[in-house]
Amino acid sequence: MNVFDDIQFYLFNHHHYIDIPQDADSYHSTWVDFPNSLYNPERGHELYQRYTRELLLAEELGFDAIALNEHHNTTYSMMPAVSVRAAYLAALTKRVKMLVAGTPVNLSWPSRVAEEYAMLDVLSGGRMEYGFPLGTGMEYWSNATSINPASSRARFREALDIVFRAWEQNGPTRYDGDFYTYRYLNTWPKPMQRPRPKGYIVGSGSSETVNLAVESGCGYSIVFTPIKNQLRAFENFRSLAEERGRTVGPDDLIFTVIAYVGDTDEEAERECRPHVENFFEWFHRVPPKYLSPPGYVSRDEYLRRASSAALADASRATWDDMVSIGRIACGSADTVADMIAHWAEEAGTSRILVTLQHGDMPEWKAVKNMTKFASEVIPRIRARASTAASAPASTAQQTAVEV
Amino acid sequence: MGFDQQNYDINGIDTAVLTAGTGDPLVFLHGAGTVTGFDALLPLAGRYRLIVPLHPGFGASADDPSVDSVHDYRRHYLDLLDRLEIQRSVLIGHSMGGYLAASLAIDNSERISRLVLASPIGLKVPEHPTVDLFTIPPAELGGYLTQKPSIFDGFIPDPPTPEFLADQYRELTSAARLLWESPYDRKLDKWLHRVRMPTLLLWGEADQLIPIGQCAQWANRLPNAEQHILPGVGHLLFDESPDAVDAVLRFVGEPVPA
Repeated sequence: MNVFDDIQFYLFNHHHYIDIPQDADSYHSTWVDFPNSLYNPERGHELYQRYTRELLLAEELGFDAIALNEHHNTTYSMMPAVSVRAAYLAALTKRVKMLVAGTPVNLSWPSRVAEEYAMLDVLSGGRMEYGFPLGTGMEYWSNATSINPASSRARFREALDIVFRAWEQNGPTRYDGDFYTYRYLNTWPKPMQRPRPKGYIVGSGSSETVNLAVESGCGYSIVFTPIKNQLRAFENFRSLAEERGRTVGPDDLIFTVIAYVGDTDEEAERECRPHVENFFEWFHRVPPKYLSPPGYVSRDEYLRRASSAALADASRATWDDMVSIGRIACGSADTVADMIAHWAEEAGTSRILVTLQHGDMPEWKAVKNMTKFASEVIPRIRARASTAASAPASTAQQTAVEV
Repeated sequence: MGFDQQNYDINGIDTAVLTAGTGDPLVFLHGAGTVTGFDALLPLAGRYRLIVPLHPGFGASADDPSVDSVHDYRRHYLDLLDRLEIQRSVLIGHSMGGYLAASLAIDNSERISRLVLASPIGLKVPEHPTVDLFTIPPAELGGYLTQKPSIFDGFIPDPPTPEFLADQYRELTSAARLLWESPYDRKLDKWLHRVRMPTLLLWGEADQLIPIGQCAQWANRLPNAEQHILPGVGHLLFDESPDAVDAVLRFVGEPVPA
């Protein structure tokens, strides 16, 4: 047995509003206060259609799951209501799982989240997985101020508890919390997967979030961060789980990778680099103030962030920095497969979430990248299974030819 | 003359209290930041026992995330006054501290002989809205706080160090516990008629954070208030102009009604 025996690939698509304005330099942020007068609904419609094509292609190509997430007030993501997007895709897909990662449960009514996600699980015939994040700092600037960032973690913890009770317990039940009181918690529908779907807490590596994932019986998924940060968080997860006597399976940790596959390492870099650079420089353009609203992190965590130039302003990272710290796997199929397989083994995880559409990358490149990843990288990694079954690889190869 | 600092355990919160001078007690509730310190208030210690407690989560006082409403602050300070055996005193509140002082005056008027509200927040005056402290870009904050940037000399490292920024973030977090949802207390207007003690409204005419236009609304609602406006002065009025302290001294020097 090894991590490759049940390795699964999740294709994640950011759903950027892709157009970068001519006067891009004049905006200090593409989040929170980036003016929505620049949003063109006709263009938005085209982009939804494009990303739909890419996600449906993922199913054809043999990816195991598609993954979606939620952000607000930003050109970075067109999914402020991710369950709406997931419902649309549930109707169009047949086989793939959908990782809906996800609504910050503390920014909505927890009963509403329980209802929407139970609907998604039932609608999709039990294909939904969830990933609940605390929400980036930016979400607290973008939503009603009744959700105070200074109490966001406590509220998140309670909201999560309510969602799980709503799914797992037979209602009606009463809930008396610090933030929410329910006289009749009695969610219709309940999820199809019992006692609840497989799920993850999405974090950025902080011990507090890792701890919550361990305590709540969830897996843990980390946002796109340098590889060593992901490994450190996973190590933390394992040691906390061990303290609590919880067994950690290779499917409890989702590893996230930004990847691009070319015929050669040089071709891959040439095709990919400008888009990854604007992914960080434009789509990640966030002032420190928006990353950390007051109380969102502790003073010590804030000090750690303020002390690290790379953390304080991710958009200034250079291509070489990104490659050297393992933010990206870019190269030939051999190069990319070796990097990802190595990281998966090191992380002890069988769940690989890849993003293959970066920044303002045109559709043809995204499709090419997805196709090469599915037909050349996935088989190379699956071949490392102790059982070395080849069926999924051949399926992917077949479809790639059709595309 | 300088301050002495003493810490008290107030219902589990390690609370730092600065004191200077002797005489009748004069309690000062500070605003949403402590960066410039309180030396500008020291002339008050020439005639009074000046007491400056630091709010939970500010300066040398410990954090307490459960202090997140005006009533938590009010009860915390009632506990502190009991501990200091101060039955009645002059109370001065500046900015966020003005809101806290107004709340104490509404509910516990027996503890306050005279009240000074210095550019207080809390009142919703739609024609003269308070600037939302949390939305001000960091580089522009100084311009909102003062008309006299030199007051920050020696208090803000250039460039700001991570330690300095983290300390500011901590105090902003403590302020957010009280003020994130709204810079207003929508019911304050309804209860200000209960503040019957002699009250001084002290305001910088050039306040860019809490516009001078709000002063008239406070004056209309407070039954026993006089106004003193400082021309050309911004929000951090005690740091900016010695006239602020002089106005307080003149006001508290008047005979106190029984």
